[in-house]
Amino acid sequence: MRSTMTAVLERAALVNDELATEPYELPWAHEARFFVQVHELTGGLELTTEISPDGLTWCPADVPAVRVETPGMASWLVTGFGQWLRVRCRVSGDTAPAARLRIYLVGKS
Amino acid sequence: MKGLRMEPASVGLSKYDPLGRILCFDRFDSTTHGWTELIGNYNGRGDLGTVDDHMRDFRPPQLSSCSFFDVGTHGTLSGNYALKLATRPYRGHTATGIRRLTMAGRGRVRIETYFAFKAEATLGHDLPASVAWDGNRHPSEAQFGAFTVATDICADNGTRYHNVIRYQNTNLAGEMTQRWMYPIVPEPTPRDHQEGRFALPYAADFTAPDPDDWRTFDEPLELCVNEVPTKINWHYLRWDIDTATRSNVELRLNDRVMDMSDVPVPIYPDRYGTLDNLLNFYFSVRTHADIRNFLFLDSVLISVDW
Repeated sequence: MRSTMTAVLERAALVNDELATEPYELPWAHEARFFVQVHELTGGLELTTEISPDGLTWCPADVPAVRVETPGMASWLVTGFGQWLRVRCRVSGDTAPAARLRIYLVGKS
Repeated sequence: MKGLRMEPASVGLSKYDPLGRILCFDRFDSTTHGWTELIGNYNGRGDLGTVDDHMRDFRPPQLSSCSFFDVGTHGTLSGNYALKLATRPYRGHTATGIRRLTMAGRGRVRIETYFAFKAEATLGHDLPASVAWDGNRHPSEAQFGAFTVATDICADNGTRYHNVIRYQNTNLAGEMTQRWMYPIVPEPTPRDHQEGRFALPYAADFTAPDPDDWRTFDEPLELCVNEVPTKINWHYLRWDIDTATRSNVELRLNDRVMDMSDVPVPIYPDRYGTLDNLLNFYFSVRTHADIRNFLFLDSVLISVDW
C-alpha cells in the first residue's frame, strides 16, 4: 500500500506582500500536490514552488508559477523535488493587495 | 513505505524495555503512526478563527531523513526516517505531535523513545547566543529552548489531568539551565477561554503559560548535543506514570534514573465531558529565540501493565 500524508502549512495566513511557507520535508514522497484555498483576494496572487536540499537554501522548482485572480482553490502537482518543499505566495495590485490563504501539502510515496 | 526494508520487530524492540502489554510501537519508516498536529478547539461552523491564538499554529509533524547542509543525510537510529517536530523561527513558538488513545484499564503506563534535539543551523549569519564557539562548544547549544513530554488523561466522571515532564535547555533569556521541570497548574483549555478565565497570545506556552508556575526536579543534566547543530545523537527516554493513582512514577534518561513519586500532577478543578478514558500523549518543542528548534523521534513505544 502506498503511503500518503497531508500537512496544513497555513490555516488563515494573511499575505499583504509575500509569504514563503515553512520548510516541509517530504524525502520519502515520490510526488506531492499543493492545494491553496484563497479565501479572500484583493489584487493578483502568484504561487511559486520552491525546493531545497537542506531546508536553508532555496530555488524555484521545475514547475510553472500558478496565477490566481479570484478566490477559490488552486492545486498543482510536483515531482522529482528532492527533499524540502515550500510555496512562495506573492500578492500584487494597485490598491492594498491582500490574500487570505489556507495551504495544504499532500505527499504520496 | 514503498521500497524500504523494515528491520524485524524483535530487533527494534530489544532496545526498549516495555511493560507487559504494548499498545503501540511506532517506527517512522512507515507513516506518522498516529502522531499528528495538535490544534485548539473550534466552533460548529468549522471557523478556525475561533481557535485560541496560542493553540492555532503547532505545525504539522514531518518524516525527516535528518539531512543537513554540511553532511547531507544523517539518518536515524533505526532506519531512514524520524518524526520531526519543527517550530517556526519565532521566540516562544511551540510545535507538537500528539497521539490519541483510550484506556482499557488503570495502572502503570510507560512511554519510551529514542530522540534527538537541535536548533536549526545558521548559515552565513550569526544569532545572539550565550555560548561562544571555541572549537568544542557552539552557539547552537544555547539556541535550543525546551522539549516536553506530556499526557492528557480523563476518566472516572470527567476527572482530567496532565502528567508533564519538560527538559529546559535554556531559559527565556537564552541562558543554559539544563533542568527537568514540571508545571504546578493544569494546562489552560479552550473551555477556560470560553468561560473568560484567560486569553493567551500567539506563542504563549500552552502547557503552562506563566514561567512562575514551573518547578524543577532532580539535578541539572547535560545531554549530548555534540558540538554543532548538524550532528545528532540519539537519547533514550523512559517515563512511567500510574493512571490508577493519577501520579508520576519514574523518569529515566540514558543512565540517569529519577524518582518522580513526589512530583505532583495537577488535576482540573472542574469536570470534562466527551473524554471518558482519554489517554493522549504529546511531544512538544519550544524555541526561546528567533530560530527554528527541532525534536526528532527515532521511534516511540507505549506499554501498560493492565
